[in-house]
Parts: sequence; C-alpha cells; structure tokens
Amino acid sequence: MSTPLRTLAFAVAAVLVFLLPGWIGGVHGAFAVIAIMAVAAYGLDIVVSDLGEVSLAHTVFFAAGAYATGLLSTRLGAGSWVTFAAALASGALIALVLGLVTLKLREFVFSLVTYAATVVAASIAHNWSLLGGSDGVSGIPTLDLSVGPLHLTARNDVELWPVAFALLLVTLYAIRQFRLSRLGAMAMMVHLNPRLATMSGIEPRRVRLAVFVLSAPFSAAAGWLYAYQRAYIGPDLFETYFLVLMLTAVVLVGRRRLLAPLIGTALIVGQERFLSFGGDVNAIILGGALVTALAILPGGLDALLHRLVEPRRASQTGASNSEASVGTPNTKPMVQP
Amino acid sequence: MNLVQQLINGIVLGHAYALIAIGWTVLLGVARLVNFGHGQIYMLAAFVTWWSVAALGLPYPVAIGVAVVAGIVIGLIMQAAMLRLTFAQDLVSIMIVTLGFGHMMRGIAGLVFGGNPQVLETPLSWVEFEIAGSWVTAQDVAIVVVAILFFLLLHLVLERGSLGRTARMVAEDPKLAQLAGIDVRRVYFAVFAFEGAAVALAAALVAPRTPILTNIGFEEVIITFVVVVLGGIGSVAGSYLAGLGLGIFTALFGGFVSPAYATTAAFLVLIVVLVLRPSGLAMGRASR
Repeated sequence: MSTPLRTLAFAVAAVLVFLLPGWIGGVHGAFAVIAIMAVAAYGLDIVVSDLGEVSLAHTVFFAAGAYATGLLSTRLGAGSWVTFAAALASGALIALVLGLVTLKLREFVFSLVTYAATVVAASIAHNWSLLGGSDGVSGIPTLDLSVGPLHLTARNDVELWPVAFALLLVTLYAIRQFRLSRLGAMAMMVHLNPRLATMSGIEPRRVRLAVFVLSAPFSAAAGWLYAYQRAYIGPDLFETYFLVLMLTAVVLVGRRRLLAPLIGTALIVGQERFLSFGGDVNAIILGGALVTALAILPGGLDALLHRLVEPRRASQTGASNSEASVGTPNTKPMVQP
Repeated sequence: MNLVQQLINGIVLGHAYALIAIGWTVLLGVARLVNFGHGQIYMLAAFVTWWSVAALGLPYPVAIGVAVVAGIVIGLIMQAAMLRLTFAQDLVSIMIVTLGFGHMMRGIAGLVFGGNPQVLETPLSWVEFEIAGSWVTAQDVAIVVVAILFFLLLHLVLERGSLGRTARMVAEDPKLAQLAGIDVRRVYFAVFAFEGAAVALAAALVAPRTPILTNIGFEEVIITFVVVVLGGIGSVAGSYLAGLGLGIFTALFGGFVSPAYATTAAFLVLIVVLVLRPSGLAMGRASR
C-alpha cells in the first residue's frame, strides 16, 4: 500500500475504533482502560523491542504518574494540565536516576535491579504516610482539560474515552516517529550489534539511557489518566498484575510492530472485561498467555500466523528461532536436547 | 526491645531465609537458571501443607512430604515448558516466563484454596522453650536444625560427590558436558525439581510462623535475591552465611529502627551490591 493510502486506511480505522464503544454501548470504561494500559505498555515496548532490555520498573513509572496526579490534585488542588506535566516529569526523573544507576548493567542483571527498584518503590508506597500509605489516596477530582473557551471535562467513562483515545493516538504517532528517528535507529544498532555501534561513533550507554528515560513518560502518562479514571490511587498499582499485563501485551502479538502492544492489551483487558471467569481464572489465563507467548510460541501470535499462512517459507528460513529471544538476539548455536 | 531477644529472633529468621533461598542458589549455581515464580511455589506449598493437615487430617511430617512432592511436580512442569529456552540459555526470557508461572500459580491457589487467610498450626508450635529470657517455639528450633542439616548435606553432596562434579560441568559448559556423555536434559530437570522441593520444604517449615495468603511469596522471593547475591552466586556456604546475616540484620533493623522498612533496607543493600559489583553476577555465557 502506498503511504497516503495507508494513512487514509489508518484514519478510517481510527474513526471506526473511536465510534465503536458508542455503538456497542456501556463499554466506554473497558475501552478507556485498554487505551490507558496500551499507552503504559508502549513505554515498555520501546525498551524491550528496540533496546532489547527487559525493564521490570515500568510499573514504577506508571505508578509515579498516578501518584503525582493523585497527590497534587487532592492535596494542592492542581489542575489536570499541571498534574499531566508533573506525571511526565516524575516518570522521567525516576527513569533518569534508575537509568544512571543501571548504566553499566545489561540483560539479566539489569532486569533484576529494575525488579528490585519496583519492590523498593512498592514498599515505600505502602509505608510512607505522605504518599497515602497502604490506604492510598482517594477522592481524585474530575479530569478537567478546559483551555480558555474550550470546555473539556470527563465526569464519567463516556467523557473520558475521547481523552484516552487521543492519548493513545499521540502515543502511536510518537512511537512511530521514534522508530524513524536517529535515536530509534541508534537503539536498534546498539541492540543488534553493540560493537558496530561503538565503531560508528555511537555511545551505547548514552543511547540506552536516552531511550530508557524517553520510555518512562509514556507509562507515566498512562498512570496520569488511570488515576482520574479510577479516582483513587494506592499501592495496588505496584502489583505484579500490571507488570505481567504490560509484559504480556508487549510479547503476545509480536516484536517491533506498531500496533502489537495495543492488540495485546485489547486481547488481555478485553478477556478480563467481556469474557471474565473471575479473578483467579483470569490470572491463570494472563500468566498462561505470557508463558505461551515466550516458551511455546516464540515471536508471538504474529509469528504463529505467519507460520500457519506460509508454513513452507517459515520452515525453510527457520523463522521460529530468529525471534526466540527477548533480549539480545540469540546468535549462539543451540544445544539440541 | 532486648538485644539478646532480637539476636535469637534473627538467628531463627536467618535460618528460615537461608532455607527459603537454597533452591535458587542451586538453580543459579548449578544450572545458571532463574525462577521468579519461587515465591509463588513457596505460597502454594504452604497452602498444600495447610490443606494436608486441616482438610486431609494428615500428620504434620506427612504433610511436609506432600508439599515437597507438590514442589517437585511444579518444578518439573516449569522446566518442561522452558526446556527450549534453557538450552538456548535465554535467561531474560526464562525470567519473564517464570514471572508468568508465578502469576498463574496465584490464580490456581485462589481457585483451589480460596482467598481467606489460613493459619497452619503444627504440634511443634505449641512447645515453647525459654532461652536467655526469650521464648522460642519448637517450630523455630526445627527450622534451625533442618536448615543446618540440609546445608551440611548439600555441601557434602555438591563439593565432594560425583553428583556435584556433573552439575558443575553442566553449569560451566552444557555443550561440553553433553559431549562427555552427560544427559544435560536430566540434570536440568533434576535441578528444577530440587528447586521446587527445597522451597516447598522451606514453606512447610516456615509458613506456620505467619498467616498463609495467596499474595504471600513476594517477600520470600526478595529475601531469596538478597541471600543469593550477597552469598555469592551459587555458593552453598555463602548462602547460609548471607541468610543468617540477613536474618540478624532484619531482626535488629526491625527491632531498633523501623520494622516496616526492614526488607526495603535489605533490598537497597542488594541494589548497591549489584550496581557496584555487577561482575559478581556475571553469569558466564549468559551475559557475554
């Protein structure tokens, strides 16, 4: 498809998706949560797919955005634009500190330290009364983005859905532009061939830090809107559910596909909202999806689809191995069991 | 709070920590594998022990056996699913897959055992001794004794026996071990079964100290990281000392500074160690 045609197709699809909850009726809340969690997952996606590192700290950025929003709006009466800026800033700031601390770390150790950071953050949120302690902060006011004569508030999910959808579109555009940008190209180079990147005059650590810091505001922005949607924030934002949700959304459909995390999030949250079997079974399904996506279907649903559609080509090129690894592409020969 | 009391408390806690962590120590040291579902195996095994005693009416020692068998089964299932990733030494994927398994186990526990907190009462928790002015239950003494015996046995097996040699060879170079005629696959399965069994044993002994809930296990996996990293990856003796040290630190910090932040403080130590000495965790081929 040519570029204008693609843009047109995308615009038509976007309008249809935007109108969809209105046609179905009563599902604006679910759609808003899908959009919000997808935005959170996109933050993680550029670190996992482009940088090739697995961050387990993106729940912290998500929660930081929500906490900044909840605290500023209830304690200082801050407006929604102020909380938005504060959410982005707090996410980026925490990412900068964590990124500097983990500058030399890679792969498994990087993941372990980011996980440790999540645990420390959760424990602080649980215990520090300034942050609301284990009770959290409730009574977050209505989202109000009115500018001048333009009146824009979200008193309920129907009114919040356009905001969530707009945030999603902006995110999709930003992720696309990132992948076309110089930084995006450098990130891929650092990911795939760090030695070549260094020889080309790229400083891998700087690229890693830049991408890591850039990724945080996406998850933080999602946290910002989530705080308004729930009107409550608390240490439950650090639960493994959000971490597993984001990770599954990123790996379920396929790597480095613009719409993959959105489709992944829609499948997961859609199942929880429309086909729920109760929290326990949902947890088994979500965990099972993550296990399946990585251990049984490397490359996600996308690769499965390709293998089903083009079985011969896939078997000839050995496509199943090329996307098997989440982190650095696996160049080592495999030992056959 | 009295210092001796906190020290005794710390020693009991330390042995509990060391026991909880030993499966990971062997997993990482022998097979260069990780398991982020470790805490959830602990949680499930604690529920299985409780269920065997409360619902089936089995005597406590038999219930421990049931829990250990359950731990082995979980370990084998996990390893079976991850065999391809294991052979590829794709540690990051293994980490995420085990997180997924942990999430599944929480769902399973909620489904089978319900969401109510349970208390496991063992005959040993009724017996109390007075040591230096503080009370210790027979359950606490059992934790200390079992931990010491377990570590001694493991130390002997891994350092002296041919089993240890085989395991170390697989850890160093799985391909070479395969060429030398070792069934690497069996070693991986055995190590993961041991991980499940060890954490189940720890759960059966330690869980009576606290209420059993589906969301426990988080703290246990944190403690395990700290013990394994501070003890030196894969070192059995190091893990024992690190567990003991961490237990005493937690008891003293909790008793004299702030009980709420005791785990956080321990974890900050871990972050500092990892950041300052990432090479201590450099895991051969996996980190290149």
